Amino acid sequence: MIRLWASLTFRIALLYGVLMMASLAVISAVFYYGTVVVQARDIDRNLEEGAQSLSGSYKTHGRAGLQKEIEQLLDDGINQDTEVYLLLDPQGHKLAGNLIDWQADAAPLDTLVTESVQRYGRPSLSRLLWHHLPDGATLVVGRDLHDKQRIRSLVWRSLAVGGGIALLLIFAGALLFRRQFARNLSVIRRTALEVQSGNLSQRIPVTPAEDEFTRLSRDINHMLDRIEQLMDGVRHVSNTIAHNLRTPLGRTRAQLEEALRHHRDATPVSEAAAAAIQDIDALILVFERLLQIAEAESGARRRPFEAVDLRTVVTDVVELYDAMAETRDMALSAEMDDETSVLGDRHLLSAALANLVENAIKYADGSPTIRVSVREEPAHVIIEVEDHGPGIPADAIPRVTERFYRLESRVPGSGLGLSIVTAIANMHRGTLRLDDAAPGLRARIILPREGADALPDSGIRI
Amino acid sequence: MRCLVIEDEATTADYIRKGLEEGGHSAVLCGDGGEALRLGVGGQWDIIILDRMLPGGADGLSILKSVRDAGNATPVLILSALASLDERVRGLRDGADDYLTKPFAFSELLARIEALTRRFKKQAVEPELRIADLCMDLVKRKVERAGRPITLRPREFRLLEFMVRHQGQVITRTMLLESVWDCHFDPGTNIIDVQISRLRNKIDKDFSPSLLHTLRGEGYTIRIP
Repeated sequence: MIRLWASLTFRIALLYGVLMMASLAVISAVFYYGTVVVQARDIDRNLEEGAQSLSGSYKTHGRAGLQKEIEQLLDDGINQDTEVYLLLDPQGHKLAGNLIDWQADAAPLDTLVTESVQRYGRPSLSRLLWHHLPDGATLVVGRDLHDKQRIRSLVWRSLAVGGGIALLLIFAGALLFRRQFARNLSVIRRTALEVQSGNLSQRIPVTPAEDEFTRLSRDINHMLDRIEQLMDGVRHVSNTIAHNLRTPLGRTRAQLEEALRHHRDATPVSEAAAAAIQDIDALILVFERLLQIAEAESGARRRPFEAVDLRTVVTDVVELYDAMAETRDMALSAEMDDETSVLGDRHLLSAALANLVENAIKYADGSPTIRVSVREEPAHVIIEVEDHGPGIPADAIPRVTERFYRLESRVPGSGLGLSIVTAIANMHRGTLRLDDAAPGLRARIILPREGADALPDSGIRI
Repeated sequence: MRCLVIEDEATTADYIRKGLEEGGHSAVLCGDGGEALRLGVGGQWDIIILDRMLPGGADGLSILKSVRDAGNATPVLILSALASLDERVRGLRDGADDYLTKPFAFSELLARIEALTRRFKKQAVEPELRIADLCMDLVKRKVERAGRPITLRPREFRLLEFMVRHQGQVITRTMLLESVWDCHFDPGTNIIDVQISRLRNKIDKDFSPSLLHTLRGEGYTIRIP
């Protein structure tokens, strides 16, 4: 129910339903007023008129005349089922009428009351008007409410049943509306997720129907066309830069190398040439890493993501760095669940993990162990590298992922490692978390679990 | 070895040609897309070295495709300034056998050319590999030197196997990273040196002669001195 409530479509549909119910209630009230209430008023008016006309007869024809008229009224066959008359002499004896049992003492005079009486020996709920005639006799004019009661309960019942059905229809309609809406939106969302993870060629399938969703989808597709065009432009520019920078760098390196090839001696010139080659290589590496970050950040990927077995990634990286860890008296261990896979790019995930492991080996002085682990949680897969070195001061943690920020300037490095890890994690819709391992550093790449993002057809929050 | 070098940049092309000739190979240079297509599809080469960006916007990959579509299986090494992982994967997927990014060390190019042409000559599966008195049992995954067993970790075994298979050749750090650790990025540290020195401790330290050699500025080789 909470999930349903979180859905905007459901709320809109429900609000719409509530408004509909309200208008239904107004219509019902008018209808009720027009039937039951007006009818009740008519009855009261008729009774007053009847009493008046009978009082008139009494004045002209006297008690006996009135008695006769009442008997006539009861016998004339009009309103036989509902009419109530009673004429009592001043002592309370019945002179005429069809009531058998009544309570004369309690009855207020000249006021319309609703009472249970015995009419022709049958119980009846009646509307009655008690009137004292000038000679002390009592005239009662009334009307049985049995029919009216039936109509009233019929009206109430129809309103209740109709209202219940309307409520059910509204709820079902809200659900249906939401589902339809969710289905249309899930197509768009799926495409958005694909695009978000770098697959820019993805487009929303457009149906021939000219509805709002088709128009929205078409607009989004146009937007994606434009973005893809721009990205292609950016890619073209960076390729050109790569070409135009790498080519002269390569040429310089080649010339230095060629010069060295013919003079393998230890003259200052050849040493300088060797140093220059090293510098060029370092420059190329920084350049490559910046491109790698840019590439990962822009999500400009041509390769689709595939299922990556993280065991292989961890094994490759741990077995690559184990020798380096040994030289620093550290033990590099790997802990893994059976089979943990995520959707991603294997080479980039390896690069990210390698950066974390290398950082741990380089900076966690005196940490006897470095633990690499892969763990599955309901919604995430976590790749964790934990050391027990000096760690990173809490205030520096947000800064270490910035490009070229270096915490330890005495250890050689480019200052790009954690930027690359962050970019790669983000590209996989994940995050890099750095925490205090007390003591040491716990670096975690938190990735969404494979399939956790796949949209089921129903139950999507919109 | 006859090499076709498709490269429009004259200095680089000349540098490659000189280097190849010094290494005892013959090289034909070609800087034009149409010519390259004709030579690549029609000629008999031991290896084609292909630049991706050719004048007039032609992509070397289209030449590569034509070569492959013509049923020509000559090893192709792409040499390109397009260095991103994506571009490399794309090149390999489109039929290249190796991808080297510019700028490159010449020794790296030479080592890769040799590894590629050697790989194309023999692909037989042997039960064991030998160099001098070192013997690798590929079935039981055991190593002996001078009759004494040597305990290697699985990855060290793969490293040694790769080196022994390419004995006598120069093997560069990136070749090892890619083939032994399936690592297609440059860690930028001396990590391979450390791995090699650990392996050397196991197979060379207590034996004579030394088999595993470091070639400064180039890489490593395993050979009988």
